[in-house]
Amino acid sequence: MESIIKLSNVSKEFKILNRHEGLAGSIRDLFSRDYKIVRAVDNISLDVAQGEIVGFLGPNGAGKSTTIKMMTGVLEPSNGELIINNRIPYKDRTKNSQEIGVVFGQRSQLWWALPLVESFKLLKDIYQISDKDYNDMLELYGSMIDLEPLLHKPVRQMSLGQRTLSDILAAFLHNPKVVFLDEPTIGLDVAMKSKIREMILGLNQKKNTTVILTTHDMGDVDALCHRIVIIDKGRMLYDNDIEHLKKFFGAYRTLKIRLREDTEEAAVKLTKELSDLDIAISNDDTWISILVNEEKTRVIKVLERIQETHSVRDMQLEEISTEDVIKKIYEGGTGFGK
Amino acid sequence: METINSNAAYRRKGPAFYLKIYLKIVAQDIKSKMSYRTDFFISTIGMITTNIAGFIAFLIMFGKFPSINGWEYYEILFLYGFSLISITPTQCLLDNNWSLRRYVYDGDFVKYCFRPINLWFYYVSEVFDVKGLGQLAFGTGTLVYAWIKLALPVSLILILKTVVALVTASLFMMALQNAAAASCFWIQNSFWLLDISLKMKDYAKYPVTIFNDVFKFIFTFIIPVAFMAYYPSLAILRPDNVPVLTYLSPFLGILAFYGSYKLWMKGAGKYDGSGS
Repeated sequence: MESIIKLSNVSKEFKILNRHEGLAGSIRDLFSRDYKIVRAVDNISLDVAQGEIVGFLGPNGAGKSTTIKMMTGVLEPSNGELIINNRIPYKDRTKNSQEIGVVFGQRSQLWWALPLVESFKLLKDIYQISDKDYNDMLELYGSMIDLEPLLHKPVRQMSLGQRTLSDILAAFLHNPKVVFLDEPTIGLDVAMKSKIREMILGLNQKKNTTVILTTHDMGDVDALCHRIVIIDKGRMLYDNDIEHLKKFFGAYRTLKIRLREDTEEAAVKLTKELSDLDIAISNDDTWISILVNEEKTRVIKVLERIQETHSVRDMQLEEISTEDVIKKIYEGGTGFGK
Repeated sequence: METINSNAAYRRKGPAFYLKIYLKIVAQDIKSKMSYRTDFFISTIGMITTNIAGFIAFLIMFGKFPSINGWEYYEILFLYGFSLISITPTQCLLDNNWSLRRYVYDGDFVKYCFRPINLWFYYVSEVFDVKGLGQLAFGTGTLVYAWIKLALPVSLILILKTVVALVTASLFMMALQNAAAASCFWIQNSFWLLDISLKMKDYAKYPVTIFNDVFKFIFTFIIPVAFMAYYPSLAILRPDNVPVLTYLSPFLGILAFYGSYKLWMKGAGKYDGSGS
């Protein structure tokens, strides 16, 4: 299939002034040429076909947003070649904008004071959408969600969830080839999250729109992304589907236990007592989760050790969750990636 | 359907396109501002009070002297009205420039970068300050009053000259504010520059000859305050003795405005969207 997005060895460097402290320091800074170079994106290559949904994952500051800003034409790559829809986005920002849609975090791009429908009408003019295409799109939206009450509400009166939903609808309105979504479900409740995921998936399928999204929410990944790209410290650690990733971590199991003592304290104690085993212990209010690599340590053995000193009230054994997989990669303790 | 869409993408976006969009945005903006009724009334009252206070201060200051440095009272009143009108486009059209620093600083400016239209236009079109229209009415009233008192002839050519002079002065005002706002792309704490640019308009309403030579030079060649009312209005007030700079001022005004626009766009181009 023909690729809509193509990155070849793309890097982005920022020049940052080494600032000095105090008044004398800031005067020195005025004339200083003492820069340090920060490599926000380091040699990334990527090929995305029309209609794919690709999830960009990585800790804060990993370079996800910088990569997206390059793809949308806001930033110019320092090195490498970046082609979106047969265009170099930075050189042709205006034309590139015509064929992409962007939702950037919680920064609404809609007119704050206007009812949604008025924003839509302005976008119709700006993107020069024909009456027919516009009406078809609204009809499609209407078939997917309860659009009417949203249309006549000024954006400033909307809840965060409604605003995010509106921004996503606005991004798809001109039927772009690619839509970039930067953390689309951040801060939303469960019901709204699933509504937004359904919406994105539906539009992707009906319009064959390529979707690039960044997220920290593994729910987004599980619901939407066939393919994930993991970036850390500007470098690409992984680019494949999620099943592959889980297979790699196939030997991992999460052992969840509840003890007859305070969970918090017990987790601390266990971490000490089992420090000779190669496991990772975490806890929430009721459960202690122990991530075990079966190839190195057997779950049964871990359980035995725990029972020597603690009384187990309840236990569960789970496959590794997507979240744990990602965490493992960020921690880099597995020798995975580069 | 694909072909229809991509044809639309390449349809030329000329002045008519931008004007149409602008009028639509402004109409919507005014409509929504009216919906905050209390806010609208209070700010209208505030605007009227500010103008009256400024006018009274002017009367007290200049009422005592029949003339200053060869400028008689109604001529100075003419300049006063003139400068109020010529600040109107800056106030109405470029009001969003006051928030530019905050957007750039927070990284929110990035949200303006994704539309297939001119970035500067898209940014400034977001806000239209209705209050400026009150100032326009006030300034026009003052100008007409001074016009009558000065017994200036009501001829088409003179009115045309006045309009050209007003447009010229407006261009200089817009250029100064636009450039001052754009400085935030380079300087972290740039608010003082914008603030100064606003204060400069207060000097614009006096004939530049009342200042000493140093300020006269600065206001003519460095910060073009003298072009915001004085030089353009000489064509109307002193038609027998018009300096070359007055004839040049419309062209210089266009140049200054274009320069400030280029500066703004250059700044926006180097914006790296940090802060997100």
